Amino acid sequence: MRDNQMFRPTIHRSREQRRIFETAAAYFLAFLVICFFLFPVLWMTTSSFKADIDVAAYPPTFVFSPTMENFVELFVDLRAADALINSCVIVGLATCLAMIFGTMAAFALARYDIKGKNFLAFEILSVRMLPPIVSVIPLFIIARKLGLFDTPWLLIAIYTLNGLPFVVWVMRVFIQEIPKSIEEAALIDGCSRYGCFARVTLPLLLPGLAATMVIIFMFAWNEYLFASILTSADAKTLPILAANALKPKAISWGLASAAGVVMSLPVVVLVLLMQRFLVRGLTFGAVKG
Amino acid sequence: MAIAGGELAVPVRANGPTDRARRIGARSAPWVLLGPTLCVLTLVGFYPLVYSLYTSFTGYRPTQPTKEQGYVGLENFARALTDGQFGAALQLTLIFTAVSVVMSLCLGLALAILFNKRLPGFPFIRSLLMLPMLITPISVGITWRIMMMPDYGVLNYLLRLIGLDPWRWTGSTSTALASVLLVDVWQWTPFMFIILLAGLRALPKSPFEAAAIDGAGPIRTFWLVTVPMLKPVIVIAVLLRMIDAFRTYDTIQIVTRGGPNLATDVVSVYLQRLNFRFFDLGYGSAVSWLVLLAILALVLVFVKLTGFMRDIADKEGR
Repeated sequence: MRDNQMFRPTIHRSREQRRIFETAAAYFLAFLVICFFLFPVLWMTTSSFKADIDVAAYPPTFVFSPTMENFVELFVDLRAADALINSCVIVGLATCLAMIFGTMAAFALARYDIKGKNFLAFEILSVRMLPPIVSVIPLFIIARKLGLFDTPWLLIAIYTLNGLPFVVWVMRVFIQEIPKSIEEAALIDGCSRYGCFARVTLPLLLPGLAATMVIIFMFAWNEYLFASILTSADAKTLPILAANALKPKAISWGLASAAGVVMSLPVVVLVLLMQRFLVRGLTFGAVKG
Repeated sequence: MAIAGGELAVPVRANGPTDRARRIGARSAPWVLLGPTLCVLTLVGFYPLVYSLYTSFTGYRPTQPTKEQGYVGLENFARALTDGQFGAALQLTLIFTAVSVVMSLCLGLALAILFNKRLPGFPFIRSLLMLPMLITPISVGITWRIMMMPDYGVLNYLLRLIGLDPWRWTGSTSTALASVLLVDVWQWTPFMFIILLAGLRALPKSPFEAAAIDGAGPIRTFWLVTVPMLKPVIVIAVLLRMIDAFRTYDTIQIVTRGGPNLATDVVSVYLQRLNFRFFDLGYGSAVSWLVLLAILALVLVFVKLTGFMRDIADKEGR
């Protein structure tokens, strides 16, 4: 009897202790994970505020007097504003085109019975599989022949193409999830087919559209290979500018980091704001998240 | 009022030319909607591929006008198949892809299970963990190059701090591949993680409860319940990651440029050198096509092994 009484609270306590231990272990692991994944981000950000002497210091300086000189050099000497404008125009136009064309195609694939529908859908998806390095030569030759080298046009076309599979596949899933009965009700109430799309379907699609837009914006904004081959001076985008900061003999690490920060900031802000359908977008609608 | 099942039901009007015109309009509508996408796909996607196939049968070398520029038959392909550098690059790419995918899958799965616990602060950390995949690959490359500098890089400083020997990182042929793999795994584990976490969150609760009642421990539950139920999500995540790892270019080009001594010379870096340093475009096109066939074969084998298409077909049929 005495044994039993002593035993019971111990079990109770040990279960409670185990729970506390598990929670503590989870937080400890989370801490290690954060250290590994965020340390380089922290290092990039701090390097961009370091004077060159601090970047190359050994032992590395964790406390230093921040300076804006890298950013000033980036925008004044390297004329980053031009590259920023190029990036915005090229990526912005390509994103809009891909969204418009892709949503139209997605609507057709989701709502009409067309012969070879699945074949078409996979044809569109196959773009995602194509290694960009494979189509670089023909596009380079075409650009030279048509006088499109170092102009934004071919890049806009390429980024539109790269965005299309995402838009078509993700929007197809979103459109399929809207019950047809809603559209039918609008049609019966006298809405025209296009009016019905604009007033009923489109508003319901807006969250999905926004999420998809963020994803294709991200991939186009970060794209380097095509931009490095099809542009040289006038049409160069931000990734090219950042990579060029590495070219000279004496590499300015602070400057390169500053370019990295300027370049990454828009994507980070946009995606963190629009996380809701991110997983669905990244997996072409196959995984709901 | 009867509403047809398949097509959208339109209020019935009297038969007549307007009705016929409307039916023709309805039949062509999907093609009007698909038109712009198919145009872009054909002009920017498929036409360059066909052009590339044509170039691969020529000796096109714009910087060496004295050499044969016209049709050379299968010479380029024969040369590619006996080219040791191409073979080595392809092999390296396959190793890189396999290691990168397996490591980011294991790490991503572990993270997903950890952050599936509903503890205060975890949703915020989850968002923060997405940062590596959002940062421009060029910046990722620059940052890791700074950190991996052998003499005054912060990684060697940290290694010395905990009493380990400093590494040569990208400076030596024996550690260069591991270094670029580290960068790739760091950058893309978050991608695996958020997809797998979304997959975990969507799983039904009851099989886990049943497993707990049957007295299955956490390890048995993981292998016998979690993994089988999560398989479709894992398959998609791995497929996407595989395609991307195979074509990795930006970070490797910035961190090592394929060196030292070709230790990190994956196919995209090799092709880049072939095309835009030597301007051997005919040969480059032939190699491009072989790379394309290699990734196609890889995807087909993967799809066959995992029954991915069957899953998709089931979904479509539903």
